[in-house]
Amino acid sequence: MTVTDIAATAGRPLDTRRVDAYEKVTGRARYSADRVPEGLAYGAFATARIGKGRIVRIDASAAEAVPGVALVITTFGPDELHDIGFIMAGGHAVQSLQPLRDDHVAYRGQPIALVVADNLVAATEAARLIKPEYETEPFAVKIDAEGANTLVQEQAIPLPFLADIKVGDADAAFEASPVRITGTYEQPAQHAMPMEPNASVVHWEGERLIVNDTTQNANAVRFGLATQLGIDPADVEVTSPYIGGGFGQKNSMHMHLGPIAIASRRLGRPVKMVLSRPQTFHTGSFRPNSVHTVRLGADENGRLLAAIHEVDQQTSRHDLFPCMATEVSSRLYAVPTFRGRQRLVQTDVQTPGYMRAPHESPAMFALESAMDELAYATGRDPVELRLANDAAVDPVTGLPFSGRHLAECLRRGATRFGWDKRNPEPGSMIAEDGSILGWGVAAGCYPGNIVPSIAHMSATDDGTITVAVGGHEMGQGIRSAVALLVARDLGVPVHKVIVQVGDTRAAPQHLTAGSWGTASALPAVQAAVDELRKALDVTEPDDVDIQAAVRAKGKSVVTVEATTFGPGQTPQILDQLKGGGLAIGGPVFPEFVTFSWVAHFVEVRVEPTTRRIRVPRVVSVVDCGRVASPVTAASQVRGGVVWGIGAALREESEVDDHFGGFLNTTLEEYPVPVNADIHQIDVEFIDEPDLLFNPVGVKGAGEVSMVGVAAAVANAVHHATGRRMHRLPIRLENVL
Amino acid sequence: MSTNDSTVELACTVNGADVQLELDPRESLLDVLRERLALTGTKKGCDQGHCGACTVHVDGRRVVSCLTPAVQVTGQAVTTIEGVTAQGGLHPLQQAFIDNDALQCGYCTPGQIMSGIACIAEGHTETDDQIREYLSGNICRCGAYVGIVAAVRQTADATRNGA
Repeated sequence: MTVTDIAATAGRPLDTRRVDAYEKVTGRARYSADRVPEGLAYGAFATARIGKGRIVRIDASAAEAVPGVALVITTFGPDELHDIGFIMAGGHAVQSLQPLRDDHVAYRGQPIALVVADNLVAATEAARLIKPEYETEPFAVKIDAEGANTLVQEQAIPLPFLADIKVGDADAAFEASPVRITGTYEQPAQHAMPMEPNASVVHWEGERLIVNDTTQNANAVRFGLATQLGIDPADVEVTSPYIGGGFGQKNSMHMHLGPIAIASRRLGRPVKMVLSRPQTFHTGSFRPNSVHTVRLGADENGRLLAAIHEVDQQTSRHDLFPCMATEVSSRLYAVPTFRGRQRLVQTDVQTPGYMRAPHESPAMFALESAMDELAYATGRDPVELRLANDAAVDPVTGLPFSGRHLAECLRRGATRFGWDKRNPEPGSMIAEDGSILGWGVAAGCYPGNIVPSIAHMSATDDGTITVAVGGHEMGQGIRSAVALLVARDLGVPVHKVIVQVGDTRAAPQHLTAGSWGTASALPAVQAAVDELRKALDVTEPDDVDIQAAVRAKGKSVVTVEATTFGPGQTPQILDQLKGGGLAIGGPVFPEFVTFSWVAHFVEVRVEPTTRRIRVPRVVSVVDCGRVASPVTAASQVRGGVVWGIGAALREESEVDDHFGGFLNTTLEEYPVPVNADIHQIDVEFIDEPDLLFNPVGVKGAGEVSMVGVAAAVANAVHHATGRRMHRLPIRLENVL
Repeated sequence: MSTNDSTVELACTVNGADVQLELDPRESLLDVLRERLALTGTKKGCDQGHCGACTVHVDGRRVVSCLTPAVQVTGQAVTTIEGVTAQGGLHPLQQAFIDNDALQCGYCTPGQIMSGIACIAEGHTETDDQIREYLSGNICRCGAYVGIVAAVRQTADATRNGA
């Protein structure tokens, strides 16, 4: 699978390999904690060991006595750490609750003291010696526990885009349907667990606060710290050039940043803090537990007449993390009536949040499992059934889709997989090694979101092009996509394009999430390239000799800037971007609706004695508009498939009524897919530009690639065993 | 230093250079490499020996440096990602990682490469399944496993063919 070159404008091959791969394979890429400044001190948290309650007293004397300890802080003053708010409520933080401000313990694992020491050994030891005395209170960590509080989302958060989706009278249509399917499907809580834990290095240069952080949202860190500490945002500089995986867990400001910034100011020293792996299970967000009841009504041929999707989703006691599961379940097929209902269940945990395909993967596990049941109930082939229910327009708004090639994804995938050789009878296909074969299919979609973006571009007389744009590189390949666009347009070698992302000094850094990063950055970069061509007088669409063109202007460097918006967005939205807020458009635009689409075909093998489930091959066909960077996009899709396999067969964050918090807080006890779990994954792209969505024609790929995988695995397991899976992950005991 | 006032001497080589340090005996090889020697190519993913991001070679054998007390490598030769080749060049497996896009975020990559080099040297590359098994101590959360196996396969075959 060695990467091949593709043609540039003038037919010259363009190197499409990941542009920052060299730095990454040599260990030279600098992640947030890869800095050891002079005089560095190390921070560590002590955390609460009760499910809920208050701290009656806390003895820090043993911790303070540890040689090398510079500072122990159990409570900051109210004027030291101001409120910054939950990101989904207009703030900047992972949750509204900022620990270390009072005696209240809202959940197990909440930080109760910060220790700063000369070295890691002392910091770790001192954190262990913090001695709290607690008064405990009853708590609920399960959504069906006594004390969990259920809210109707559209009443609790009266925002139009969070209202329940209703089209026609779905309940009446369901009752009148000749074929009715009802099923309940449960998604457990899960943790994103990027390989790089939350980590930061901060120091002060006079009044200026300099922050290296691992974040998908350098803007939120900048403005959040300014608000929290009561300083000017212009005095906060945040860089996050390489993120060791984000997956949504790093999409807003974390709770250690304010405390270590204050510690650094008090000590007059730089402070580094790397959260321990177990702590990242309680200090960062997680995918909440959710229970989905799906009802499908259809005619005898499986043509959908009604769909009802009711969701109960966990949130915290202190914040409402909105559920958006029905945004996708209402649109995958041409269903004439639909009723969604989303409720939030408050439990005593840190606030949950976005984790790769946060709502879409659980929603599609439910919907696409039900569709598989419908295929069996009506005797139709699962691929045929899906094609028969393809939608010509958005069933919710009646607007056209800006692009929808789902049918083509299904057809191409079926051909490539060899679906026509499938015997639909469960348990009927036996592999040469004696294991039971199961072949499953599922489709998926993910909303097309987009944010305004500002790009600064300069051409230098040495032939280099430097692009600074809003966006964060967390492995998805945004740096590569930007460099390829510039190189292809101007006909310059890829290595002559330098891309700066994740740097508040270079351009406003809106949150990069929701698969909008590339679709938002590339239009701004393209617009900047167009501006640069004008500034250099090279508007003919030919390759440009940058050196000559810059010198011809009598300058050593020529600089341009461009700003682009999502469809229907106006320049006023720049206030939000520049103020550190969210400025998200889509998926419903004034004249069309945008989604990315995918079809997954999965083979499982169930070992007859142990019932161990393996996934030897997957075929995934994606419609993400134009593919901006073929190498990194294919890797992203394979990664999404790996995540889907993990969701289907491995990942669950376990809770216990007795202890509170999460129990399996290590990478040993929270198993994610390892190399031996993964085999052949074939990826294909439709590669049709979606030019209504943006002038470059790109749509998101990173999350849609995961949507539907768990359902396809579950449907394959059903095909192998005859058992319908109603809860993830699928365990051996479910197929005995 | 900490409550335990006794320090110990470490003398070893790291990437061929002599290193002499006074250490708290509780300091891990990982923290010494990163925080004292500023060799930050080796990554901390879990600090518990579960993820493999901190993999280095000690006398040619792969170890998770987070679970290796630094003092334990006294008299031994430590090799990190910064030392797999002479200055400037790429090890064939590093090149194969680039060519097969065997990485995404890159955080686990130094550990994957250190494990991959050892896996090839150990001869655990007879089949792709054997490569998968012997690289399963290195988690890649981005899910670059298909590329990682391809990169190790390509390098192992080239090594076997005397390339």
